Amino acid sequence: MTADRHPDEIDLAATSEGVGPIPAEAGTMGRIVDRVAYVFAAGIVVSAAVLLSEVFLRYVLNRPTIWAHELTVFLCGLAFTFGGLYCTCRNSHIRVVLIYDWLSPGLRRIFDIVISISCAVASGFFAYAAWHMVTRAVWTPSGEIRLETTGSAWSPPTPALIKIFIFVIMVLLVVQFLIFAVNYARRARG
Amino acid sequence: DFTFKFQSSDPAGNPNFEFQKGWTDLVAEKSGGKIKIELLPVGSVVEYNETLDAVAAGILDGQICDSSYWAGKDPAFGLISNPVGAWSAPEQMIDFVENGGGKELMQELLGSYGLHFIGVSTPGLEAFVSRVPLEGVADLQGVKVRTPEGPIANVFAAAGASPVNLPSSEVFTSIDKGVVDAADYSVFSVNQQQGLNGVAPHPVYPGFHSLPLVEVSMNSAKWDALPDDMKVLMEETVKEFQQTQLAGNRAADEAALAEAEADPAITVHNWSDEERAKFRALGVAEWEKLATQSPMSQKVFDTLTAYLREKGML
Amino acid sequence: MMDLGFNLQALGIEWGTAVMFGMLIALLLTGMPLAFVTLLVALIFALGWFGPMSIPLITSRVYSFVMNFVFVSVPMFVLMAAILDRSGIARDLFDAMKLFAGRIRGSVAIQTVFVAVILAAMSGIIGGEIVLLGLLALPQMLRLGYDRGLAIGVVCAGGALGTMIPPSIVLIIYGLTANVSIGELFTASFLPGLMLAGFYCAYILARAYLTPGAVPDVDPTPVSRAEKMRLLKGLALPIFVVAAVLGSIYGGIASVTEASAIGVGGVVLSTILRGEFSYALLRGAAMQTLATVGMIVWIGIGATAIVGVYNLMGGVDFVSEMITGISDNPTVIVLVMMAILFFLGAFLDWVGIALLTMPIFVPIIVDLGMDPVWFGVVFCMNMQVSFLSPPFGPAAFYLKSVAPPDITLGIIFRSLLPFIGLQIVALALLIAFPGITGR
Ligand code: NA
Ligand code: NA
Repeated sequence: MTADRHPDEIDLAATSEGVGPIPAEAGTMGRIVDRVAYVFAAGIVVSAAVLLSEVFLRYVLNRPTIWAHELTVFLCGLAFTFGGLYCTCRNSHIRVVLIYDWLSPGLRRIFDIVISISCAVASGFFAYAAWHMVTRAVWTPSGEIRLETTGSAWSPPTPALIKIFIFVIMVLLVVQFLIFAVNYARRARG
Repeated sequence: DFTFKFQSSDPAGNPNFEFQKGWTDLVAEKSGGKIKIELLPVGSVVEYNETLDAVAAGILDGQICDSSYWAGKDPAFGLISNPVGAWSAPEQMIDFVENGGGKELMQELLGSYGLHFIGVSTPGLEAFVSRVPLEGVADLQGVKVRTPEGPIANVFAAAGASPVNLPSSEVFTSIDKGVVDAADYSVFSVNQQQGLNGVAPHPVYPGFHSLPLVEVSMNSAKWDALPDDMKVLMEETVKEFQQTQLAGNRAADEAALAEAEADPAITVHNWSDEERAKFRALGVAEWEKLATQSPMSQKVFDTLTAYLREKGML
Repeated sequence: MMDLGFNLQALGIEWGTAVMFGMLIALLLTGMPLAFVTLLVALIFALGWFGPMSIPLITSRVYSFVMNFVFVSVPMFVLMAAILDRSGIARDLFDAMKLFAGRIRGSVAIQTVFVAVILAAMSGIIGGEIVLLGLLALPQMLRLGYDRGLAIGVVCAGGALGTMIPPSIVLIIYGLTANVSIGELFTASFLPGLMLAGFYCAYILARAYLTPGAVPDVDPTPVSRAEKMRLLKGLALPIFVVAAVLGSIYGGIASVTEASAIGVGGVVLSTILRGEFSYALLRGAAMQTLATVGMIVWIGIGATAIVGVYNLMGGVDFVSEMITGISDNPTVIVLVMMAILFFLGAFLDWVGIALLTMPIFVPIIVDLGMDPVWFGVVFCMNMQVSFLSPPFGPAAFYLKSVAPPDITLGIIFRSLLPFIGLQIVALALLIAFPGITGR
């Protein structure tokens, strides 16, 4: 879905380790997501540090923490979830481009528009379902606010927070896919 | 007629899953085919700790699982399903649920989420896995113990051990390599079968730490739609399943125990009543903390302690 | 149930499976991202088979998938590789290995395989490794007059070893999907990984001594003692990192997930010691990690969604019965699975293959009384082929991105054929002699 390519030019975006710059069609939102991504990338580095300190505390001092693992899972969970939006903005989700690459530029635009709209619709359904999940994680059956916790010894409210975050990301995915669709349509017209 | 999908918290092939499967067969047989229950292994439709929501939403019709998974929704679930140190035999826990007020508490807890509590079972008293000899609470000092999610980690911490949170798939490697010294894992027969007693040759049996409450529950609306005779049938067959599972696991534990005792490399330890009481006292202190965390927790605490006092167990 | 005007349940599980499979392929070929193809098909079937109340099952699985402790090792190993790629560690390692492959014919190609093995023991992914070898080893071999096909094949096949020799993301994802101990998977894959590397060396030597002109003559210039010592230093840090990661797992210091973080600490410390560490380096590596794991995780999210819906439809039982119905001979069933994996490997990335097929294959393997750890190694070996096999061969793509422009994809894929042959031989040996995994 990036700029038109020469047939022999390979598309690293189609592999699981590929990267690419933010395409123009991602719009302002794409650039904002690219900026904010820094926070979640930092979360991965912090996770590494937390795990390292946990090994040190347990192996050297014999004082393992009750929070290291759950904190790492939370930070990585945020990064995993956000990573979906990040890759959408960068157009770097894995695709099979066997047929797509042989289409004429005009036909590719049409494919791009239809694909973006379908993804937006699907994300919309998931946003609805995620909201359903959020209501169960945030409110008790009697209607009081109670953030669902892990139920462990530390018991942080990370399950509720991640569920809310999934909902937010699904909503943002809808917006981002619609931006793509509009920009592809604009480019197709002129 | 009725077709239901239940999800278990055990994997296919696990002996406990087979006992649960036996229950679904029994229901089909006794109802003359009127009720068909399809039992799905853990993780089939949703993860083990998400089935409550899935049953409430009507995605699944019912579940057979450890109630402590819902401790994140209400700490009361954690307290009622695993009051660390309270039970020294499965029959005690079952009597509390069936005749001591436990059933009513479970129904009140689950009912508010749109589920109906059908009955209780348990795989039995878990055995403790350890690389180091443990004869009592004092020996737990500084021992790195793998614990699953749940307030049990606090009890081990209070005993001076260092609880480490590891997923169950990492238990074998971690104990084999000595990342942890001991583990809260499963019943003796399962531990023995998975080779844990081979790499950690100082099991404590019977365990002193954990006796999970396994609930059989289903979507309230679907339960209400059942005719009364079918409801009775469901409840009675759960009781039958519970007895089969207990007897089956006990036999398997005894066979595995004989095998372990015949193995010169393995030393099976058994704690004295005095040491068990010490660990229980640490557990009780933890119950008090949990009791303050929600109104239902307090209610569970009151009912449980009243029952234990009445039976002279506290 | 809300009436949406369509009821897929009327199809029955046989036709339902066929329609689902057809829909997946058709949507994939449009160029829609794989993660959203599977999510969309899961959504359509959840809606059409069960109604709107069932969609939360998909978001519930998304939640469970992103909150998994074992999965934490994936960003750790990716981060480690990303830092490694940005440092000069691999360059010095390559120079140091000159000392070992020394004075035999085809020494630079052998040296490349050695470097690939050490890089593989440090990291768990392949993209960065192939790019590194493509930048370091390929130009040197071409300049010295190595056969172009041999040089290309060594770089791609050697780089792909990153996921065959532990630590390996392929094995981690397999362990996660199959609920098998990752530590045991690592132990079992050591020998098969080294065996495959041994095959590559044997092939290089055979070409060097049997086909005239495949490799240049041995360079007679001796290396001075001082130079040797300087080169040897390049070995120290990589060995330190390998020892830190594998030593902490096998020495009982850390779980596999924690060991992955120790690896990150090890490479960061190495770059500091080399004076290469900078904020920009760490930031760049972290951003790349976010992009890579975002992709991997979302393929997983899509796969877990479709597996959940298909399970609720009763589909997994159906497929299991179909596969086990093929033959009474377990080996035949394993071979059929291998054929399916080869086919998928030609078109799809390994993450998608693992997450879509393993929930179905592994229970069958266990039912047949075979060892799921052994099968994990077999799967991992099969994925080695998928990296090289056209038309979708990630190893070829990575190399193409750094190779001279006159080396086309066609040339790369042709060069890879003998190496695919070696991988298939290794795979056949693993199936015929499961003892190679030490189990
Ligand atoms: Na590796
Ligand atoms: Na391929």
